[in-house]
Amino acid sequence: MTNGPLIVQSDKTLLLEVDHDQAEACRRAIAPFAELERAPEHVHTYRLTPLGLWNARAAGHDAEQVVDVLLEYSRYPVPHALLVDVADTMSRYGRLQLIKDPVHGLVLHSLDPAVLAEVTRSKRTAGLLGERLDDTDVIVHPSERGHLKQVLLKLGWPAEDLAGYVDGEAHAIALDQDGWSMRPYQQQAVDGFWHGGSGVVVLPCGAGKTIVGAGAMAKSSTTTLILVTNTVSARQWRDELVKRTSLTEDEIGEYSGARKEIRPVTIATYQVLTTRRKGVYSHLELLDARDWGLVVYDEVHLLPAPIFRMTADLQARRRLGLTATLVREDGREDEVFSLIGPKRFDAPWKDIEAQGYIAPADCVEVRLTLPDRDRMLYATAEPEDKYRLAATAPGKNRVVEQLVAQHPDDQVLVIGQYLDQLHELADHLQADLITGETTVHERQRLFDAFRAGEIHKLVVSKVANFSIDLPEASVAIQVSGSFGSRQEEAQRLGRIMRPKGDGRTAHFYTVVARDTVDQEFAAHRQRFLAEQGYAYSIVDAEDLAGA
Amino acid sequence: MSTFTGFLRTRADDDLVALLRGRPDLAAPSPTTMSSLAVRATSRGSLERALASVDAGVLQVVEAVVALGGATRDRLRTAIADDETGFALVDASADRAVALALLFDSADSPDPLRAAPGVAELLGPYPAGLAPASSHDPDVAVVDELPAAPAGVQPVLDALTWGPPVGLAPSHSTATAAAVEWMLRRGLLVRGEGRHVILPRTVALALRGGRTHRSAALPPAPTFPTRAAATVAAESADAGERLVRLVTRLARTWERSPAGVLRSGGLGVRELRRLTAELEVDERTAALVVELAASAGLVADDGEEAPSFVPTVSFDEWSGQPLEQRWLTLARTWTATTRTPWLVGGRDDSGTVRSALGPDVARSWAPRLRRSVLSTLADLPGLAAPDESTVMELLAWRTPRAVPPASAVSAVLAEAAAVGALGAGALSAAGRALLEAPDDGPDPAAAALAADVPAAVDEMLLQGDLTGIVPGRPSDELEDLLDRAARVESRGGAVTVRFTAESVRAAFDAGATADGLLADLTRFSLTPVPQALEYLVRDAARRHGQLRAGAASSYLRSDDPALLAGLVDDPRLAGLGLFALAPTVLVAQAPTRELVDTLRAHGLAPAAETPDGHVLHLAREVRRAGRRGRGSAGRREVATPTTDADVAAVIRRLRAPEPAPGSAGSSSGGRERANREPDGPLDPTPDDLSEHGTDDPGDALLVLREAVADKANVWVDLVGPTGRPERRLLRPLRVDGGRLRAADVQRESELTVAVHRIASVRRVRPVTDEESA
Repeated sequence: MTNGPLIVQSDKTLLLEVDHDQAEACRRAIAPFAELERAPEHVHTYRLTPLGLWNARAAGHDAEQVVDVLLEYSRYPVPHALLVDVADTMSRYGRLQLIKDPVHGLVLHSLDPAVLAEVTRSKRTAGLLGERLDDTDVIVHPSERGHLKQVLLKLGWPAEDLAGYVDGEAHAIALDQDGWSMRPYQQQAVDGFWHGGSGVVVLPCGAGKTIVGAGAMAKSSTTTLILVTNTVSARQWRDELVKRTSLTEDEIGEYSGARKEIRPVTIATYQVLTTRRKGVYSHLELLDARDWGLVVYDEVHLLPAPIFRMTADLQARRRLGLTATLVREDGREDEVFSLIGPKRFDAPWKDIEAQGYIAPADCVEVRLTLPDRDRMLYATAEPEDKYRLAATAPGKNRVVEQLVAQHPDDQVLVIGQYLDQLHELADHLQADLITGETTVHERQRLFDAFRAGEIHKLVVSKVANFSIDLPEASVAIQVSGSFGSRQEEAQRLGRIMRPKGDGRTAHFYTVVARDTVDQEFAAHRQRFLAEQGYAYSIVDAEDLAGA
Repeated sequence: MSTFTGFLRTRADDDLVALLRGRPDLAAPSPTTMSSLAVRATSRGSLERALASVDAGVLQVVEAVVALGGATRDRLRTAIADDETGFALVDASADRAVALALLFDSADSPDPLRAAPGVAELLGPYPAGLAPASSHDPDVAVVDELPAAPAGVQPVLDALTWGPPVGLAPSHSTATAAAVEWMLRRGLLVRGEGRHVILPRTVALALRGGRTHRSAALPPAPTFPTRAAATVAAESADAGERLVRLVTRLARTWERSPAGVLRSGGLGVRELRRLTAELEVDERTAALVVELAASAGLVADDGEEAPSFVPTVSFDEWSGQPLEQRWLTLARTWTATTRTPWLVGGRDDSGTVRSALGPDVARSWAPRLRRSVLSTLADLPGLAAPDESTVMELLAWRTPRAVPPASAVSAVLAEAAAVGALGAGALSAAGRALLEAPDDGPDPAAAALAADVPAAVDEMLLQGDLTGIVPGRPSDELEDLLDRAARVESRGGAVTVRFTAESVRAAFDAGATADGLLADLTRFSLTPVPQALEYLVRDAARRHGQLRAGAASSYLRSDDPALLAGLVDDPRLAGLGLFALAPTVLVAQAPTRELVDTLRAHGLAPAAETPDGHVLHLAREVRRAGRRGRGSAGRREVATPTTDADVAAVIRRLRAPEPAPGSAGSSSGGRERANREPDGPLDPTPDDLSEHGTDDPGDALLVLREAVADKANVWVDLVGPTGRPERRLLRPLRVDGGRLRAADVQRESELTVAVHRIASVRRVRPVTDEESA
């Protein structure tokens, strides 16, 4: 028995004691196959999942290495059943391969005839497979490549896709590294992706995912389709690409609700792709409008279900997924795995923070005791109104004022859910307000002014959640949110995670009403942030006034 | 010529100890005389048990001896084996069979190894596939004609040579029919009943080259993986600890809300499901936990009118013991219990679902099976972790006459893993110790488990996400704290817990204070208690008790606070237990009726408001049933002498001179008067039944069985249907199923008589072959 830093539990969680001398080495060793579940201050919890193990297989690790790592670092004897299970699970990946046969085209090739027999007999593969060539090969309808991969994953025999990609229409793209250069981890991410063919790169918010996308485009040098969450984000991508690459504005098209341009590099929103007229997706032609050599998916964890279906038909094209987290609120991680591809690169948040690329953050929950009148109102309210009542408690305004007053030299974002509340706050703080009603032009103007430091305070609704780069924001104050979603939390935190010029600590405040559902949601948030390893503390609003 | 009883008599003390150890049913209740031991050792039940317990090698030797009608050791070797390994196995097996008194040495016979009386009857009509000897058996020389045999003969011989020796002759005129006809004519086959034909034993033996078996039944040599000692120890200890925890949780669950007893006596399916959720285990494990807890007497039917299962007072004693002792109680119960939890949830022959703790979930062979599975693993070298089919293969060799069903073996293996007798599939030190019978000293099994259980850890790491991690096995005190104030998320080498508003509130419910709880957490935590956790505790404490509840039987209200205040202070009303909740509300401990009556008696004019103003008493009720035994299996185990000292005491008693039941008349003359009817009542002498006779019914059976084996004649006093005794000279042929079949030597007829009609039996000098011819 060693005195290692790792404790392997029989429920497949791995506990890593971070203060141990070998913790760093162990963390690096287990990162390829175990998913980091939570990373609070002393003990990090990783989990072994089939997808995680298959990701490791796709990255070239085998079961023996995994078992060796567990045995090497484990403090106690590793449960035998777990080792057997690891070997068993990992051996399932790649026994089936999708390959390109010179004669028959796309073929499902099996290294194990029994497995092929099992999957060809399954009802789920009916209609996806064609003629059986011999014991180990069966023809696959090219149009069903994606669908088949989904089904095989569900059957527990994930296929390795070695059938390659169409070259796509060539288009010269080069990185324009003038005055900046790719960070080492970004370069590793690009290489990892390119080597694997297709797949997902996991980087924390603020770690420069756009650059990884640009790097992949330069490597590919083909026409590229970029799918993003919303229009503001689309514009940011465009600006960033113009700045970082040899592409000019004319080469980049925007395909959104407002504009329908198709150019060598086209940035489209999920929303426009999933718009339906009379039951049919009216913008599907975009996918075939050009011979795309690369498709980039921004924020993969938010990819809506219809996009998955469309992606199933895009399997012959290289696909790059970018995300801060593989965790999806809807649990469709397996679709990401089978349709976009395995994880190709992953850098833990804290690592990049430690390297100084993202700002450290300090999370504070401010608890506000409601006055008796409000408490009575809350206690007698209908259940569906309770959250709104608690979230928009009038006392919050004063707390926000105090917080803003504490940070006179910082760029402050105030984020909320309810428009009435936001308007009121904007008035109180004499700050500008951005909501869904604000025009794109006006939003751009305000964001630019904020970035330039011309305005110090900005009140925003949930439109600001995604993909808006506000690098100078160092204080965020959240007054209400959408029921404690972990996703939202990651995004909001991401807003202020951008590295600060002077290395200041970012502050993330959440104002909650005590003894209400607001506090319960705050507990979810607290858990999420603490699990991400951020210092989290709770203060009373009364104490704040004195401070 | 020496008889079975004579053989037993000549055995050394050590041999008898080995016999009683090998066949424990002979020792309980302790036999009083050597002859009663002989009777018991040749009874059908005991022989069956003995045969069921021997391995394929021993069984082969016994079969061969029976088939050959006695043999020398050399003959036995060549009849079974053909190389040195085989010879060694045969020799060892023969020694074992003699030690178990399945075979015995009769030194003065040309074939000294002989089967104990009664053994032949248990081996079926064709031991070793050979037909019984018959006076019509042809001479071995007929085999010489075989080279000239027609074509169809060889297949017939192939089919019959190695048994069974009986075949059905084809009815049509096929080549086979012609071959059979040819063989019948030459005496190579004889006719049996109907169209059956039998291969005579002389022919069969000649064809087999004098062998009874094709080859020696060497033990299987399977291959199997082995496990690291640390893994086995860790997983065994982990399982043992888990079992103890599950039983404790079961009792804690049932003390709060007892589970109802079905009319048929078991635990309902729904109750079992509720337990699976409560214990977070699958249904099979839940059934095992319930059955073990009940067999160990830790939970029991409370015997109330509407009965339920509740913890017993034994549980309270048990739960105060150290971990290894608690485990030991459960593990020993497991080895001894006849309960078969794996049958729970299945259906019996009538289609009824078998319920846990129900009457239909016990099998008398279960303890034996558990033992033989464990000892099978114990006999493998190293820390072997054989798979199920390997265990089955080994068991089939170890007890070929009692091969357990595969489902039971797999269930027992699963149970052994759950109990902690196995770790990662290999027998742990604790499991090995369970195979040793417990004696008065400290149980080695408990010590073995204690050695494998990792040292308790008295510290934990508290984190900002409100989790705590104990990096090892928590000490009892820490476990207790976590039990009270946190929810376990994951267990294994370490324990991960989460503190939630609910779990902390439960701690306050159980009497903790915020300061006390935080002090405890600080004491065990390696790091400062995170601010978030402290806040959680303080917050929960602040909210705890904001609502107050209490018990009262009735209330009084009035708009006049002065009036109510007067009542509380009035000493004459002290018996009502009045207490002011608010200026305008009093509650009373007395029921409404009494309250109203008493107030009226004191000149007040109360009006009862509602007919049923009762507040329910919400106090928690903790229930216990009386002490229970540990189940019948446990008791039986105690009755069997288990230590060498016990067995030696039994043997000392056996060696003591046997009392002479009837000293009148002596049989000393009987020895000379062969085949002549003795005068007077048959008079048994105490020193040797076989040589003389007995009027003890049990002993009579032995004399008869021995006479069958020796082809000897006996004088038998039969009680006729009218009750009149009648004396016959018989040659017993078979004793079976409570009946004696015998040839009446004088009347030259056969008779079958119920054994209970035999009043006494007396041996006549054995008949030699010349005489009977």
